[in-house]
Parts: sequence; structure tokens; C-alpha cells
Amino acid sequence: MKTIQITTALIAMIIAMGFSPYVTGQSLTGKQIIEKVYNRPTGDDQTSNLAMTLINKSGAQRVRKIKQFTMDLGDVEKSIMFFLSPADVKNTSFMNWTYDSDQSDDQWIYLPALKKTKRISSDSKSDYFMGSDFTYDDLGDRKLEDDTHKLLREETMDGKECYVVESVSKDDDYMYSKTLVWVNKSTFVGVKKEFYDEDEDLLKILSIKEAEEVSGIWVIVNSEMKNIQKNHRTTIILSNIQINTGMSDSKFTERMMMRGM
Amino acid sequence: MKLLNQPWIVVAVAIIISALFFMQMKQKSRMETDLDKYMPQDHPAFVYSDQAEEWFGINDGIIVAIENQKGIFNTATLDTLKQLTRRLRKMEEIEKADVTSLYTADNIVGTEDGMDVKTFYKRVPASVENLNELKHNVENNEMTFGRLVSFDETVTVIIAEIKDDVFTQKFYKEILSLVASYETKDIKIHVAGRPIVEGTMALLGPADMKKMVPIVLLVITLVLFIMLRSIKSTILTMAVVFFSVLWSFGLMAAVNIPIYAVSTMIPVMLIAIGVADGIHLYSHLQLYLRKNPEASKREASIDMLQQMWKPVAMTSITTAIGFISLLTSQVYPIKYFGIFTAFGVLMAMVFSLALIPAGIMIFGLPKVKKAANNKSNTETGLAYNFAAKVLKRKSVSLFVTAAIIVLSIVGMQKIWINSSFLDKFEKESDIVLTDKFINEHFGGTTTLNLILDAGGQKDVFKQPEVLKLTDQMQSKLENDLEVVGNSFSLTDYTKRMNKVMNADQEEFNTIPDKQDMIAQYLLLYEMSGDPENLNKVVDYDYAKLNVTFQLKSDNSKALNSAIAIIETYEDDFDKHGITMNYAGSGYKGLIFTDLILEGQIMSLILSLIIVIILLSLMFKNYKIGIIGAVPIIITALISFGIMGFLNLPLNTTTALLSSIAIGIGIDYAVHFIEQYRINASKTDDQNLVAQKTMAHSGRAISYNAIVVIAGFLVLLFSVFPPNRELGALVSLNMFTSFVGTVTIMLVLLKMSNVYFKKSKE
Repeated sequence: MKTIQITTALIAMIIAMGFSPYVTGQSLTGKQIIEKVYNRPTGDDQTSNLAMTLINKSGAQRVRKIKQFTMDLGDVEKSIMFFLSPADVKNTSFMNWTYDSDQSDDQWIYLPALKKTKRISSDSKSDYFMGSDFTYDDLGDRKLEDDTHKLLREETMDGKECYVVESVSKDDDYMYSKTLVWVNKSTFVGVKKEFYDEDEDLLKILSIKEAEEVSGIWVIVNSEMKNIQKNHRTTIILSNIQINTGMSDSKFTERMMMRGM
Repeated sequence: MKLLNQPWIVVAVAIIISALFFMQMKQKSRMETDLDKYMPQDHPAFVYSDQAEEWFGINDGIIVAIENQKGIFNTATLDTLKQLTRRLRKMEEIEKADVTSLYTADNIVGTEDGMDVKTFYKRVPASVENLNELKHNVENNEMTFGRLVSFDETVTVIIAEIKDDVFTQKFYKEILSLVASYETKDIKIHVAGRPIVEGTMALLGPADMKKMVPIVLLVITLVLFIMLRSIKSTILTMAVVFFSVLWSFGLMAAVNIPIYAVSTMIPVMLIAIGVADGIHLYSHLQLYLRKNPEASKREASIDMLQQMWKPVAMTSITTAIGFISLLTSQVYPIKYFGIFTAFGVLMAMVFSLALIPAGIMIFGLPKVKKAANNKSNTETGLAYNFAAKVLKRKSVSLFVTAAIIVLSIVGMQKIWINSSFLDKFEKESDIVLTDKFINEHFGGTTTLNLILDAGGQKDVFKQPEVLKLTDQMQSKLENDLEVVGNSFSLTDYTKRMNKVMNADQEEFNTIPDKQDMIAQYLLLYEMSGDPENLNKVVDYDYAKLNVTFQLKSDNSKALNSAIAIIETYEDDFDKHGITMNYAGSGYKGLIFTDLILEGQIMSLILSLIIVIILLSLMFKNYKIGIIGAVPIIITALISFGIMGFLNLPLNTTTALLSSIAIGIGIDYAVHFIEQYRINASKTDDQNLVAQKTMAHSGRAISYNAIVVIAGFLVLLFSVFPPNRELGALVSLNMFTSFVGTVTIMLVLLKMSNVYFKKSKE
């Protein structure tokens, strides 16, 4: 399991559009489209409140409120999140460092009841983020070269002109055999994404419900991931988003995890 | 009577309607193999169980066990496990997310400074080092060791949950051929699990019946021929049975009611009861022709109908009402069984009274051969002798009956109820052996789900005291009961996380003392493991808990012994405002069997009362009502008594058999009493009355008993044990009804003096 870089992740994955120079008259390859999505600017740091709602098949809900901080330090991206509610997990915190290189993520957890910070190591990128239907990879922790990208077609989705790009994993054992993403042609923001499991059956559908421009950067503020096979879904809503507030690297330490916000 | 002039019309109408029903059957008949459909959906226990199954995704699992005597930690076996897991996930009938094996499981382990989350393997390990690492990981994870991999490391399982109604024989064969394709010299693969047991049982019983019933009919036809000495009579009697069965099933199809497993008992009942009408009619006809050899077929038919319509109608209506009393059952298939058997019995009556005379008009009278005359003389002599002896030695009948009643009541004390499905299979069948094999290596193939319900109070199941109590109960069951192999609930996850977060030290394999700690561990588990796992043991509000017990037997004794220990914790949980409920197919089977029996006993008593009242009304004397019920009571008592002594449990099949005691008992008693009454009105000689009755009704009854007993003994060769029990018990019931009627009932009839008083006045 990994910690969170939700903002970055969401931004990276979905937002990429607001600005990218529109290449007129020149048709893009699948890879170029995905590159534009991945490389959308996300700012140097970001702070936000996150409300994550898990909804099971009988309609019961679990709501978690989290305060999160993310910072891009060039070759490493650091994030830290603090639980605000429910009460019995308040101040539980997670920290995640993701590297641009192949080095695997470093993760820590602090449980206030245990009064200890523990390191968590995981060999899997397919971990679900906080028990939600999102994996860390879904949230943007995926590298361009991990997949073979192919532009399938162009079509209208939710009234937006989109590229439809298929990305097939180069690793046979990866949890998704392929993904299909609908990318808004004019903004390079994702609109919808389908995830296929290792047996090539549809597993999940991501729908981007709302994006918002903050300090000139597009941020997805409302999205829903639905697991078709388990009939389970997760919505993530961001609020109080602040970008480029001039955060300090010293915020991302084990001591800060224990101290709280 | 007018119809005697138009016999062809009778036959034509019967055939046309039968053809219509037959077409209905062809178009619409279908077997219901989903056992859930048998259960009364509105019964509180089922309603709760169904809800709980929905909340926690409780489904029965197919268990695929991969065995390698050399151990499973080698590349070939692990590769087979991976391939099979993936193939099973692709099968349409299987819920993809609900396939569990070492390949899909997470391994969460504690380390020096934290926690490590891994799958056991994705790529099949090839090097000795990697294989040993995997082995080490499995052995150190109590969530896996003994659950997915056997302690002796020779077997590993894949559990594939399926929906209730998707199991078909085709699907089972597909799985079997799939696993067979992965078998090698070293790797053996076994398939078990409740869906397979249930599905196979629901199909095997009726399939076996389908094979056996024609043989039963053939034997009955043969014996009937030997008894009646007439091809025409035999064919017409069998036609009555055939048409009544056809009409019952045709009507069932026409009103869109599927064929349930118990419905296969309908032909059994109709064969046993339907031949009786024909036998009594022909028996009367033969006796009439013997006295009046020159009678025309018209005269003979008219006499037959005049003399016999009353007892035939009386027996049929009483029997039908007896079956209709099954409507009091809460179980729909039993209600249907009652209705359609009643319908069939009434149709058998109509056919007997219409088709048989029509047949005589068309085909002529059965020939009364000379040889038969000789035989009939000895028969009559036998009957006279027998009747005289019975009446002379009344005390023998009375004493033996009393002794039998006492013995039967003793035997009945030993009767136990069994809802087991596995016990219905041959001890040496693949299904039973595979089940045994898996039970030897793992916790058990039968699950009992205990649902602890805090009535909507949130977070109760994060409280340390509550989880500790639950943990205590789980250990108690695992330790005290051999039959409980394993248990599983939120406590196991909590303990595991506590251990993991404390560097995997065994002394932390306990429930923490603080609620916040538990909450944080569970959050951590949710974030690191597959969150679906937690959804199977606790609801979103932590207000309901699902505790799963794995049992090594699905019989009622095993389930009840587990429930008995669980119930001792009722007060402790009650203090926390927690109530106990149960869920799952094993529990539903238990309740279902109880319901069937309860309904069966209720309807047995009810129909006995109805029979006594009806007989009292028909014969205008309450004493006769009671005397007429004696063969029924004796038959039922002996049937249950013998089951007790032979350790045959009551189950859905054997319980239904008490209905046959009523159906047959009435037939015998009514015919006998009616003849006795007619004879008594002609003479005051009590012995002669008894002798004449014995020669007339006694003869027909003995024919009836011999024919049906011979037919049903065929079922002893069935491959399906419940059908064998059925054959033996039907034969037994026929026999005791017969003996009871011609001995104790005759004695009581005479002692009651009902008809003689009357005739003297």
C-alpha cells in the first residue's frame, strides 16, 4: 500500500489539459496523447481537503475526510495526508514518496493509538487507495513507458470531442490487461476511462464529473470510480484547493506525521 | 350409466384431454433444482438469512483442491494453481471477484520497522530460493495456513463462489473436465462443495426415479397380470394409473408450476393408490362373474358400478382430502405435492369408474378361466380359514398390536431429523469421498454463519470487549467440537493486524484493548489488503458481524451441536445489545427440514382427524371412524418405529411417506368396512360375514398389497439411497396396512358390534 499523492495523481491523470499547446493540422499518436495527459502541469505543491465516499452494493456509505499536502521536488514527489474523520481514526496519517526513477515508493503510516510510525513496503502497484476503488496507479502513479499506447478512434463523449486511446500493459502480470481512455481533444483532460482486468474483462469505469481551474491549473474536483465486477463505487471530491503556496520540504517527515497538521 | 352406451366417447375424451396435458408437459415442464426456491421465502429465518447473505456476500463455494503428495511448493503445482484460478475466474457461472486461492490472496506480514504487503505470488516461482520463501510466507500466515494450504502442505484449494441458481450438470461437467485436463502423475485435483452436492442431489434423485419408475411399472403390470389373469384388466388398471399421473403433471405444467424433487413422489403415491381402484373393481367383477357366469358385459358392469362406486368414491375422496391437508405446510413444494396428488387420486377415481366400464364395454369381459376357478376356490377357502382364525384368536391380534405399538413408540424415540445432503449419497461415491478428503485437510466443507446484530448501534464491533467475546466463542467451538474445523470473523483480521504491527510477535496475536487501536488497524487493513475481505465479515457501520464456522459434516447433529454452544453466549452478547441470528445454506437446510417435518406431523394429525370424521359420516357411526383409522395409525407407527430402530433419519423423503400410510390405510379400511357392512346386512352370522368380507375385500386388498410391494421392491436396486429407503418403506407400509386391516381392524369391527346391533334392531 502506498500513501497518497492524490492531488498530484488526480491532476496528472486527468487534468492534463488546460493548457497544452494545441498541435494543429498534425495528427497525434496514441503515445503522444497519453504523454500530454501525463505531463500536464500540476503546480509545485498543492493542499486540499478530500472527501472520499465508499458506496457498497447495498448502498451503504463510508465517508472519510482527509487533509492532504503534496509537493513536487523534481525527481521525487512527496505527499502526506491526515485523517480528519471518522473520530476513531482522527490524526492517523500517511506519507508517500514517489520517485521518477524505477525505485519503488517509500511509505509510512502513523497510528495515533499505537503512537508509532511504521514503514510500509509493498511490491504491488495495484494496491487500492485507502480501501477505495482507486488504485495508486489509477491516481497517476503510472509511467508512460509501462504501456503500449494506440489511438483507436475519435468520438464524442459527454458532448466533448475525444481521442480514444488504448493502453496495453507490457507486463503480462499487471492487474490491468488494458485501459481505454477518452481524452478531451481540446483540453487534454480525461473524460472517462475503462479498466480491463487481467482476463480482459471490464473491471472498472472512471467518470470525471467536474474539473476546476485553480491558479491557472486544471484540477479534477469530482470523480467517481465504479467497480463493475464488485458493484462498488468510490467518489472523491476535493475542496479548499490551494496550489503553489510555497510549501517546505520539511513538512514531509515522520515527525510531522506524528505531530499532526 | 348412460355412458355405458357410449364407451368410445369416454375413451376418446380421456385420450384427447390426456394428449392436451401431454403437450402442456412437453412445452412447459421444467425441473426446479435451485433448493432456495423450495424454501418458504417469507419465513423469518429465511428472510433474515437472505438479507445477511446479501449484506456479507455469503455464497456457497465450489472447492477445487489440488493435491500433490510430494508437496505443493513446486513450480508445476503452483503453476497449475495459477492457471486453474484464472480459468475458473473466466467461467460465466462464477463471480469473478469471488475466486480465492493462494494466487489471489494477500500476504500481510510484520517487519522490524513496519509492515509488508505482498501477494504470495503472481509469477510462478521457479528457483529453490523463491519457492522456499513462498513456503515460509504461507507457514507464517494464519490467515492462509490451514485455510488455503493444508497443514501437511500436500493440498491447496481454490474456492469459487457461485450464485444460488447457476449450478447445472453441464457446468459441473465443464469443471470436472477442466480440472481433469490439469491432472498429471503427481497432481490430483478434486472438486467438492455444497453447490455440487445440492445440484447433484437435486438432479440425481429425479433422474434415478425416471429410470426406476418404468421398471416399477413393468413389475407392477406383470404381478397385476398374474393376480388378475387378464391382459385387458391389467392394461385398463395400468391405464388408470398412467392417465392420472399424466393429468397431474399435465395440470402442473399447464399452471406453470415446476417439478420439484418432492414432486417425483407424486407418481409413487398414484401408483400405490391408483392400482387399488382397478383391483377392487376387477376383483368384484370376477367374483360376480363366478356367481353369474352367464351375465352380459352390460349387466356385469352395472353391478360392478352399483356395488363399488361408493367405496371407490369414499376411499378416493378421503385420500384426496388427506393429501389436501398438506396445504397447511409452509413449504410450497409440499403444498403442490398435496394438491396434485389429491388431483391425481380423484382423477384415478374418475378413470376407474369411467374407463374400466368403458373398457369392458369395448373389449368385453375378462375371461374367467377354469384354472382360475380352482385357484379361487382355494383362495376363498384360505380367506374363510384366515378370517375364522383371526376372530377365534382375537387376543393374539390385540396383544401383538399392543406390543407393536409399544415397540414402535420406543423406536420412535430414536428417530432423528437429518437435513444433510451428503448423507443421501452412497458412502463410496466420489462426492462423499472428495468431501471427506477435503474435510481431512481443511476446516470443513459446510459453513454455518452466525450473524451478530447490534440493532443499528454503530461501531459496536470495534469495541474490544465485544470482539474478545466473539474471539472467545470462536475458540470455544473450535476446541470443544471435533466437527468445527475452523472459524473466521473480524477478530481474525484484528488479531492479524495487531501481530503485524508489532513486528510479527506471536504474543500480539490478540484483540487490542482500545477501540481506537482496533479502528486504526482495520483502517490500515482496508488500505493495505483487499477491502472486500472486510466487507464479508462486518457491515459498513460496524453494527453487524458475520462469524463463519466451518464444519466437517452437514448433518443436523453437527449443526445443532455448534448452535448449542453458540447459544450459551446469547446472554453475554445480549448485555451489549447484540442479538444472534444465523444464515447460510446449511442453516437454511436445517430450518427447512424442521419445517417440513413440522408440517408433515401437523398434516398427519390433521388428516387423521379428517379421516376419522369422514369415515364416521360415511358410515354414520363414530366408532367406525375410529376403527377405520386403526390401520393408518398402526402403519404410521410401525413406519416411524422401524426407522428409529434402523437409525434411518427423518428427511424430506421419508417424512412424506407418512402420507402414503394414510392414502393406503384408507383404501384398505374403507373397502373392507363397506363389504363388511353389506355382508352384515344379509346375515347375522358374524363369522360368515367376516369370512365373506375376507374373501371379497380381503382378497382385493391382498392383491393390491402384493402388486405394489413387488413394484416398489424394485427401488431397492436404485443407485440413489433415498430412493432405496423409499422403496423399502412404501413396501413396508403396504404390508402393515394390509395386515392391520385384515387382523386387528377385523377384530375391532367384530368387537364393536356396530352392524349387528343395527341389523338385529
